Parts: sequence; structure tokens; C-alpha cells
Amino acid sequence: MKLLVTGVSHKTTPVEVRECLAVPDADLPAAVKQLASSPGVNEALILSTCNRVEIMVDVDDETDPEQVTAEFLRRASAVSPESLEPYVYRHYNKEAIHHVFRVASSLDSMIIGEPQILGQLKHAYAVAREQGGLCGPLENVLARSFMVAKRVRSETGIGQMAVSVSFAAVELARKIFGSLSGKTVMIVGAGKMSELAARHLRRSGASRVLVTNRTHERAIEVARTFEGTPVEYSRFISVLPEADILIASSGAPHYLVRKEDMQRVIAARRNRPMFLIDIAVPRNIEPAVNDLDNVFLYDIDDLQEVVNANLRERIKEADHAEEIVVHEVERMLARLKVQEVAPTIAGLQEQLEQLRRVELDKARRRMGPLSPQQEEVLEALTRGIVNKIAHGPITELRRQAGKPEGVHVIDAIRRVFRLEQ
Amino acid sequence: MAETSILWLRVAAVLYSLGLLHAILTLIRKRQYLFRIALGAFSLAAVLHGVSVVDQGIITGHFPANNVFESLSLCALLITLLFLFLYRRYKLESLSVFIFPLVFVMTLMASLANPVSEWPSAAVRDTLLKVHVVLVLLGYAALLLTAVAAIVYLIQERELKRKKPHQFYYRLPPLGTLDDLISKAMAFGFVLITLAIVTGSIWAFVEWKRAWIAEPKILISVVTWLIYMAMVFFRVIAGWRGRKAAVMAVAALCCSAITWAAHTQLRTLLKP
Repeated sequence: MKLLVTGVSHKTTPVEVRECLAVPDADLPAAVKQLASSPGVNEALILSTCNRVEIMVDVDDETDPEQVTAEFLRRASAVSPESLEPYVYRHYNKEAIHHVFRVASSLDSMIIGEPQILGQLKHAYAVAREQGGLCGPLENVLARSFMVAKRVRSETGIGQMAVSVSFAAVELARKIFGSLSGKTVMIVGAGKMSELAARHLRRSGASRVLVTNRTHERAIEVARTFEGTPVEYSRFISVLPEADILIASSGAPHYLVRKEDMQRVIAARRNRPMFLIDIAVPRNIEPAVNDLDNVFLYDIDDLQEVVNANLRERIKEADHAEEIVVHEVERMLARLKVQEVAPTIAGLQEQLEQLRRVELDKARRRMGPLSPQQEEVLEALTRGIVNKIAHGPITELRRQAGKPEGVHVIDAIRRVFRLEQ
Repeated sequence: MAETSILWLRVAAVLYSLGLLHAILTLIRKRQYLFRIALGAFSLAAVLHGVSVVDQGIITGHFPANNVFESLSLCALLITLLFLFLYRRYKLESLSVFIFPLVFVMTLMASLANPVSEWPSAAVRDTLLKVHVVLVLLGYAALLLTAVAAIVYLIQERELKRKKPHQFYYRLPPLGTLDDLISKAMAFGFVLITLAIVTGSIWAFVEWKRAWIAEPKILISVVTWLIYMAMVFFRVIAGWRGRKAAVMAVAALCCSAITWAAHTQLRTLLKP
């Protein structure tokens, strides 16, 4: 087994180069098939996303994987392998496994912990399998990488904190209300961002949406998309006590909601908390509103600040994730080593068992009918001898697995026991 | 107090106890239960209560506020009448959750003026005391939970107001969850402490005869209960959250600690 991952990513390569290498979805099966059918290549996979292009190959011992990859690139892409040299990274065997695990766990992503990369890798895996490009250690490594990604996701907080402004708003709403079910959202002024935030809130369980806009027709239109209720612009303050969450994004040049208004609103709500999101510039809600008890006002900068803090928190969690990955790489290597000698061990056991049967039959023919007790003794005797003989070589095979000079020992054992190649 | 007056008062207390049941169910299930029945019983009890007070006045020939029991009874009657008036005028149903238990406990205490005979047996006496202690301890546990949750709420609220997420923001539960926990713990605690006050008063009454009302232990317990009731009141009526609720919960907790300290000698009261 010789694993090689060759790739370019957002970390090493500008987009002008990445876009030349990217394999369109439609061409992917043919490309993988071509790579996998190159001489000496046992397994192959191509991962092509907007942030990275990676070629993974598993070749037999006589083949140089770098050469195979370069040959493939020369034929398949518009750029020459030589001009790529400054951007490309290469990872062999253990390093390759480590890299694949990190990519799958989204530790190498532009936004650490983003979940898309795992789906993209799974897609590449499915395509490669369909084209017969996966049937050995590389397949095992990839299958394992999905489990590692799952483990990282569940054991660390790497994917938990929102990293976009609209999701940060939903996350804050959850921090304030706990569950969003039964909560009412009110949108003042319709804009892309407010609609996006409202949609996320709706999906997270908010049950009612109220929409108001200076032009009432627009309010009716937006309300329809959320199955919400339009509210007349002139009286929205009087409806405000019904709303738990207010998203303001109107183009009004002055404050729409003042501190005095909110004082009345919160009294009418009997101090039930309220979450105000002001994503309008200039702002729609007087900032002093945040001084009122049980009112939480966030403007666009505040939300961005939360996103930044979340990103820092994700990076902290990533350290823990890296430890998990290192540990998993060690486990994977141990597993691969045992898998390597597994056919030899099985062959050896089969060989000895066959010998035992043939010799036992010969002896039986000469001895004539035997009592069951005698049968049992003979069976136990021959089995005992065979097991004792096999014990030494099997232990040695396991011990030599994966060691650099182990190949010779394994070879010698195969020859001594006349095992077919 | 006069025997007939006490009799009317006891019947009134039994009717008022329906109001207590209503308050308990409403606090725990967060929905109005039995309000119509409880209000009917309450009105009827008010009439009997009035009869009792007038009776007492006629028999003694004084204005019936001569001692603690008489003034308690009178005061409870005035609260009852005030509530009935407010209810007719403003339909303040939610007030019933506090007025009903308050009036019941006051009337019960007032009706415990005349000493009864001895305990039926030592076992009854000890069992009642143990029930009282268990109720109190469970009530204190609920109160402690309330106070801790209120303080955590305060921290998380500050974190959300500051808008710069730190460790606490990520680790502490959402405000809504804490709020729910506080409401539930407080309602259970209030119910348990109220029942404990009832059992405790009855026990002390039989044990110490007429002098029970003068025990400082009793006074301290009643004060703690009143603070607890104020806390529940402000939360349910005015929706007190955050800082105010936390201060109330900690105050109630401190008071109950003092009450507990005053009662540490209770063990010696158990028959060996």
C-alpha cells in the first residue's frame, strides 16, 4: 500500500489556479475512472469543491504515485503540473490519513466546523466507488474519516456556534427564550436579511409572523411567504406587545421605536422578555432601549461581534478536535497493519489445516473403524500439533506488520510455507 | 374566645380551605382551577366569618380585637371583604392565588384559640411533627433551587445585555429555561411551606395550648412565609424577573435560614 494525497486548497492556492483544476460534477465519474485505470493504481478518488481540489491514490509497491498523479494532471487539466509546483501539497501514508481525517472533520475548512465539506467528501466517495475506484485501504480510510468527523462533531463544540449574522440572531433568540415554539416574530420593513432571519426563526419553531411595512401591499406580500399576518404600519407599536422577537430593517431615517414606547410595551407584556434585532442602517430602534429590564436589543454590529466570538470559540474547540484526529490516525494505522498481514495469516492457517486433514485421512484408512473416543483423541492430537507449529509464524507476522524491514520477513514466511502469491 | 364564635370560625376555615386548594392547583398547573367553586365557598365563608366576629363582640361585650386571635380573625375578615369588593369591581381573579391562602392561614390560626384536650396518642403527635419537618425541608430545598436559578438567570441576563459573549454565555442555560425552572420550583416551594405552616400551627396549638401564638418560632416562620408569598405575588402579578427576582429569592432564602436556626432544637420535642 502506498497512499498519496495531492491537492491545492484555499490555504495554499489563489482561486485563479483552483478554478483551472476544479473538476465539474458532470465530468467527475469519467475522471475518476481514468485515474483509477492508470497502470499500477489500485484505488483513486477526486475531491473537487470551491475551496479545494484533491487527488487521492493508492498504488502498488512498484509504482511512483507522484508520477501517476502528474501524468493524470497533464492529460486532464489545462495547467501543467510544473506550474502548480509552488501551490501543491503532498501527503504520504500516515500524513495522508491525517489529512483526510482533518478535511472530513472540517478542521481544514475556511470556516472551521462548517458541515458542507463532509457531504462533499461523501459524494466524492460515492462517485469513486461507483467507478470501481475504491476497494482497499483508501476506502477504509475514507469510511473511517466519516466516523471521525461524526465523533469530532459530537464530542467538541466545533460546529455548534452560529457563524453567520442571521443564524447568530436565531441562536440569541434561543438563549433568551429557550424554546422558540409558540413565539411570535414581527418584521418591520422588508429586506433580504430580515426575511432570512425570520425564515430561520420560523424553521426553529416560531409559530407566528407579523409583518408591517410602509407600503401595505408589500407587507401583505411578505406575510404571504411566511403564512403570516400583515399589520398596518400606523398601528404597529400597539401590536408590539404581542411580539416576542422584533426584526427591524426599514429604511426610515429616524427611530421607529423609542424608549418610552418600549417602556409601555414591556409593561403591557408584564415583563416577559423581548428580543429586538435592529439590522437597519440608520438604526430603527433607539439604543437606550437596551437599558430597560427584560429587553435585549442587538444591532448589526452587536450581531457581528457575537459571530466573531463564536468563531474564536470554534478555534478553541478545534484544538480538542485535533487531538481526537491524531488519536484516530494511530488507531487507523494499527488497523491497516493488521489488515495487511491478514491474508497471509489466513493462508497459512488454511494450508496447515489441509495438511492435517490429508494426513488424518491416510492414518484412518490404515487403522480401520475407530470408537468415537479414539476419534476425539486423534482430532485433538493433530489439531494441537498444527496450532503449535502455526503459533510462531503468526506471532511473527503480526509483529512485523507495518515495519519497514517486515516485508522481507513476511516474504520469507510465505516462501517457507509454500504459500501461493 | 366564645365557643359558638369559634365554631363558626372553624366552619369558615374549612370553606376557605377550598380556596387554598384552588391556589395550589393554579400555581402548579399554571391554569385557573376550581375558581368558581372556590369563590362561592369563599363568599359563604365570609358570611360565617362575619357571624363569628359579631357573635364574639356581643358575647364579650367589647370590640372583638382583644387579643391576637380576635384581631387575626378580624383582619382576615377585612381582607376577605376587600378582596370580594375588588373582585366585583375589577375582576382581579389572579389576586385569589394569594388572598385565598392568606385568609385561610389567618382564619385557621385565629380558630386555634381555645385549647383542646390532650393528644390522642404520642404517635399522632410525633407523626404530625415529622410531617411538618419533612414539608419544611422540601420547601427549603425548592427555595434553594429557586435562589440558585435566579442568580444564574442574573448572570446570563447580564451576559446577554453586554453583547460580548464569554464563557458564561456558552455554558449557562437559556433564560427561558431558567425562568421556567424558577416558576416551578417557587410554586412547589410555596405550596410545601404553606402546608408546613398549617401543620406546624396545629401541632403547636395542641402542644402548647393557648400560649402557642406567643412563641417567637411561630412568628419567625410566619414572617418567612409572608416574604415567600410576596415573592410569588410579584412574580405572578408583575412578572418580576432578573435582578428583582434574584434579590427576593435570596432574601427569602436568608429568612428561611434564620427560621431554620430558630427551630434547630425541635429534635428535643420528639418523645424519646
